[in-house]
Amino acid sequence: MPKCKKSEGQAIDYASKLLSTTEGEAFEQHLKNCSDCNQAVESFTTVLNLTDMAEKEVTLPEVALRDIEMNVYKRLAATQEESLFSRVRAYFANLESLLQWHKTAAASTLVISLITAAVLFGELYQPEVRLQLTESQSADARIEQYFQQDIQRHLDDAMITHHLRNDAWETESHLERVKEQTQGTNWMKVPQTLSFNKTTNEVAKGY
Amino acid sequence: MDKLIDDEMLVAQFQAGRQNAFDELMKRYKSKIFSYLLRSVRNYEDAEDITIEVFFKAYRALENWQPKAKFSTWLYKIAANLVIDYHRAKARHPVYALEDMEIPEANLVATDQYSNPVKELEEKELGRIIRDAVDQLSPKQKAVFILNRYEGLQLKEVAETLGMAEGTVKIHLHRAMKRLQTILNPLWENNDI
Ligand SMILES: [Zn+2]
Repeated sequence: MPKCKKSEGQAIDYASKLLSTTEGEAFEQHLKNCSDCNQAVESFTTVLNLTDMAEKEVTLPEVALRDIEMNVYKRLAATQEESLFSRVRAYFANLESLLQWHKTAAASTLVISLITAAVLFGELYQPEVRLQLTESQSADARIEQYFQQDIQRHLDDAMITHHLRNDAWETESHLERVKEQTQGTNWMKVPQTLSFNKTTNEVAKGY
Repeated sequence: MDKLIDDEMLVAQFQAGRQNAFDELMKRYKSKIFSYLLRSVRNYEDAEDITIEVFFKAYRALENWQPKAKFSTWLYKIAANLVIDYHRAKARHPVYALEDMEIPEANLVATDQYSNPVKELEEKELGRIIRDAVDQLSPKQKAVFILNRYEGLQLKEVAETLGMAEGTVKIHLHRAMKRLQTILNPLWENNDI
């Protein structure tokens, strides 16, 4: 008996319910008179029934599933710490190589180090938010504004640092609390803010 | 269709700074992504790690995401790429693969209300044999098969997810089915089932 000329693909698509209504109806017409294709459809349907049965047995671990969100935020926090650390390290490595390069000329080393330090200090101690005060504002108001900004900045730092250092988000409620505390934290912006402050501290200590 | 709008609205909200929108997106897709990954790597711990990685990457890229495709397709795309990386790493370090603490296959399947323990064992064994057959497919064949059959992605979406033409997806799917037929055929030919 000659094999049917229709491609096996049709039988696969039919068994997998991938044919359009028109295609499906046309193929069903063909099936009425073709034992080859009937056999193929039956065989592929069996394959699908078997794999469906086997794959349905795969179940998701409830505990792991419940902790996904928490672990994603942990992962985000860990990366911020990582990038912060590597930034600080890169900064010092950079400084070191700069110093080594000028080892032979002690005088120029000193001068360049001082310049580097001065430049870095200048850059690092730039206020995060530039004050926009008009000349007419009194000195008192200016001081008050500085004061408020400082408080706000320290508060933010404390919050973020607490968030990042916290390794023990064991419960969902803990996660919720942490998230409440850091409401409004844009995680994408955290590295910049953080590395700024930490680097400043490290540099200040180092000198 | 509603879902599409909803997802995109959530993305827009996230992009506007509402972090909770991302939580909602995770809630919606964590099971789907997890199950796709579990079927792809067949190991709980790795599947969990990659699921976390998917959302981690999504979080960091979502700020600049443009709704060219469905959000879910984009998410599956991240997952599919991580699966490729995973198998590459495994192939590169086969020693670790042997040393890995693989979770026994029996733990991967649900325990349910079978009354006959022998039958239960047989069924579990059969399930394992069939999943092994699926795992014997080429990575592309398996990805296409799982995304279409078990994640319910349309062929067009599978194509977008895996970065191939729709025709190519169909070719891989047909090859997958023929291969599965070849591997599994002895099971019913020998009246094992
Ligand atoms: Zn035929």
